[in-house]
Amino acid sequence: MTTYGAVSGVEYRKWLMAVALGLLYIFLYAPIAYVIYASFSEDIVWPFPPSLTLQAYANVFNDSLYGDALINSLKIGVGSGVLSTLIATAAVIGLLRYPSRYRTALFIVFLSPLFVAELLIGISSLAFNARILGLSGNIFSAIAANAVEGVAFSFLIILSQLVRYDWQMDDAAMVFGAKPLRCFWEVTLPTIWPSVFGAFLISFILAFNNLEISFYNLGAIPTLPSVAWGSLRFGLGPELFAIAAMTNALVFTIFALMYVLMRTGIVKFGYRGT
Amino acid sequence: MGEGPVSLSLRGISKRFGQVKAVDGIDLSVGQDEFLSLLGPSGSGKTTLLRIIAGLELPDRGTVVVGGQDVTRQPPYRRKIGMVFQNFLLFPHKTVAENIIFPLRMQRASREECVERLGWALNLLKLKGLEARYPNQLSGGQQQRVSLARGLISRPTLLLLDEPLANLDRELRAEMEVEIRRYQKELRIPFIYVTHNQEEALTMSDRIAVMRNGVFEQIAPRVEVYQKPATAFVASFVGQSNHLLGKVMQCAAGQLVIDWKGRELTVPCNETLGAGEAVRFMIKHEDVQLRAMGRASRDQAAFNRLKGKLRDIIFKGQTANFILEIDNGCELIASGSLRDTDVRAGDSVLVEWPQTAGVCFRDKP
Amino acid sequence: MTSLEIQAPEAGVPARWKIPPQLLLIGPGIIFIIVTLLLPLLAVVVFSFWKTESYELFMDWNLENYWVLFREPAYRVFLVRSALGALATSFICLVYAWPVAYFIARHGGRYRLLLVLLLAAPFFTGVILRIAALQGILGPGGLINMALGMVGLQPIEALMYTPVAATLGHVYLFMPFMVTAIYLSLVNFDFALLETAKINGAGPLRAFVEVTWPLNWIGTAIGLILVFIPCLASAVTPRFLGGPKSTSFGMSLSQQFGETGTWALGSAMSVVLFVVSCAIVLLMGFTINPRRSGFTGGRR
Repeated sequence: MTTYGAVSGVEYRKWLMAVALGLLYIFLYAPIAYVIYASFSEDIVWPFPPSLTLQAYANVFNDSLYGDALINSLKIGVGSGVLSTLIATAAVIGLLRYPSRYRTALFIVFLSPLFVAELLIGISSLAFNARILGLSGNIFSAIAANAVEGVAFSFLIILSQLVRYDWQMDDAAMVFGAKPLRCFWEVTLPTIWPSVFGAFLISFILAFNNLEISFYNLGAIPTLPSVAWGSLRFGLGPELFAIAAMTNALVFTIFALMYVLMRTGIVKFGYRGT
Repeated sequence: MGEGPVSLSLRGISKRFGQVKAVDGIDLSVGQDEFLSLLGPSGSGKTTLLRIIAGLELPDRGTVVVGGQDVTRQPPYRRKIGMVFQNFLLFPHKTVAENIIFPLRMQRASREECVERLGWALNLLKLKGLEARYPNQLSGGQQQRVSLARGLISRPTLLLLDEPLANLDRELRAEMEVEIRRYQKELRIPFIYVTHNQEEALTMSDRIAVMRNGVFEQIAPRVEVYQKPATAFVASFVGQSNHLLGKVMQCAAGQLVIDWKGRELTVPCNETLGAGEAVRFMIKHEDVQLRAMGRASRDQAAFNRLKGKLRDIIFKGQTANFILEIDNGCELIASGSLRDTDVRAGDSVLVEWPQTAGVCFRDKP
Repeated sequence: MTSLEIQAPEAGVPARWKIPPQLLLIGPGIIFIIVTLLLPLLAVVVFSFWKTESYELFMDWNLENYWVLFREPAYRVFLVRSALGALATSFICLVYAWPVAYFIARHGGRYRLLLVLLLAAPFFTGVILRIAALQGILGPGGLINMALGMVGLQPIEALMYTPVAATLGHVYLFMPFMVTAIYLSLVNFDFALLETAKINGAGPLRAFVEVTWPLNWIGTAIGLILVFIPCLASAVTPRFLGGPKSTSFGMSLSQQFGETGTWALGSAMSVVLFVVSCAIVLLMGFTINPRRSGFTGGRR
């Protein structure tokens, strides 16, 4: 069988891009692998040659500091994830569904947090809370400050899917007796949920692991990143590596599950092709 | 129109979009078992009018009364109206059955009723066996049936159809035209059907409202719209006509004698026009008869008769279009069956039509 | 025609027509952004004209903070260093992210979402841990140099505590943003347009330059901003990977709010950082022509 030049050119480029993707994954996951490996090592500064132990994992469950930090991080992650997803979903719908002459300006307002560095968000909310409002660091201001970035990312993610949405679908639902909220629940959300879920996930991760914003808003309340930051002075404790390893184990279990579900075609996660 | 109670009445409906008057003071009454078509070119405001009836658009002025209730300020979900959309708008994540019973669920109908009505709708629209499919597993025609089933399932007081056949191929369209009319006659629910396709409107409707620039040019039974167009626009939009531009020579009661490029024609006219005024005479292709030279046998006086040459025959299946070159240099088209004529391209022919046929209006520049 | 008795219209118009629904939907977001972003930034601008004395801000309007930033060459060096680093990182990310995003969008099929999520998954591990791990891999006792040592080669100096290492760290941290931004643009791109270009005689490269690139420029520009801005402000990465000659503007800035407690000077530095960021965003903004972007702006 003859292969035409053009066809093989396409194949060739495709494989080259696949290799680039593969290399990127290796690059991204090498440190993760290192973290997992080091969490089992006796000496985390000089982990080679290997000498394995579960000591770090035992310490995690014995020291209440890590438990507290994990719970605080989860609170901030979930709180800011939910807050940003709600705000962003409402805003995108409001902007796309109803024509407005201020649309472009409003787009810029909602995307503006992307143009402000985390460090600036952290520092400015610290300065604002402490000096203008007279508040000391608390978990609510940390959730709010983290959600600033989350809103922008969620807005971008949801926008990218919702621009393709046919709003006449809502018209149809409404003519057949669905009130606006019911419309959203029955028709809009089932179509756009992958992006809403993605938005929540991204804003959760950003807030969960955020050092700079949380650090300046929390004061003495520990989170996982701030404990990591604090322990840097004495060298990182292997316990943090152990927590990270467990988080990754959980995340990859979920991914594997997703893959199996997709493979068997039970769930499509919004993909509507063949 | 007229027998039976009124299902829908519109009074003085107007709607602007910026500077554009999309709908401009529309009055309309639709009877209980009437099939009404809103016919017009794109941008004539017919879809906007339909969306106002559905409640998807709020009119600037006027009232909408459905089933005796003023619903002008009511949101769409309180109006109990059914609707069928151009691109079907089936919910992609719901099965056929879920799509069809959606309106019933919104009205909190009982499970038994849903099942019973679903059976009825599947039966009516020949959708048995497709209940569990998703819309992207259906053909265009099937999607349209599901869309119709969804529109009809909750016994709406009114069914609105927004160019529902525009996305179907020709054969399927012809089939659906007949079926949609049958459903309307069986169910005795008023249908309001928006289309830009005159054939669809003529096939299905009891009455046709021809719309242009946000106003009705004519609203009348379909035959009347076809045979007695009220305006030049209607005459040119419905059916295929020859347009003859001429000047008035004489104006008598209901009749004009016009000068068309050096030929004298007698045409019907309802307007009173002065001599010398420019007019546009429109005669449908099928009203123009052609005969081989020397075969004219009818009463000379009641016919307009012209000499010409047959330039070409455009075969269209059941009929053919005869392209005629009249001896004043102008072109006319006549349509008829090929079987009845034995003329060939290049033959000299006689062209004639009754003096009562066609319509004539003052020609607005 | 028999007209029926017409019922009087319902008293009270339903709420749907009263408060514009878009206000209900957008309003909370606008208020949120104002309170949590705009007002704090405004506060920082105000503070930059104040003074700090013994760890306390005092209202005493002056331009001293900006004068210090202008006078001391160190701050200029920090700023230029950060900007160059950010520029290099953005460029590397741009060049590498395009083929990767293209592959996922075009050939990812039903696994597209999973492939993108795999790019985001490293973020579940904190920045500090990943930086420490990178240090563990690149550093003197790390995987790479130890392996080189075992086979008798010299360790690669450039990977240890240099600006190159810091840039590598930035690429590591921000590449996923770039890929995701381009990917999100490409999934909305109609690849059939490329067929059209090819039928009309454009080669693959020409089709890319004439069609794909301009229609996905907004997504790419957003990606560039998402990489450039955090790099410019980065404090943690250069501190751990960059070594002594890599003090960045962000590091110095966070010191003002931490160790040295000079909030007023820190505020002035924040303002400078913000102004530079805005300039970059505006610069990118000027390259965007909405009419040529293919974005139709939502409804109809």
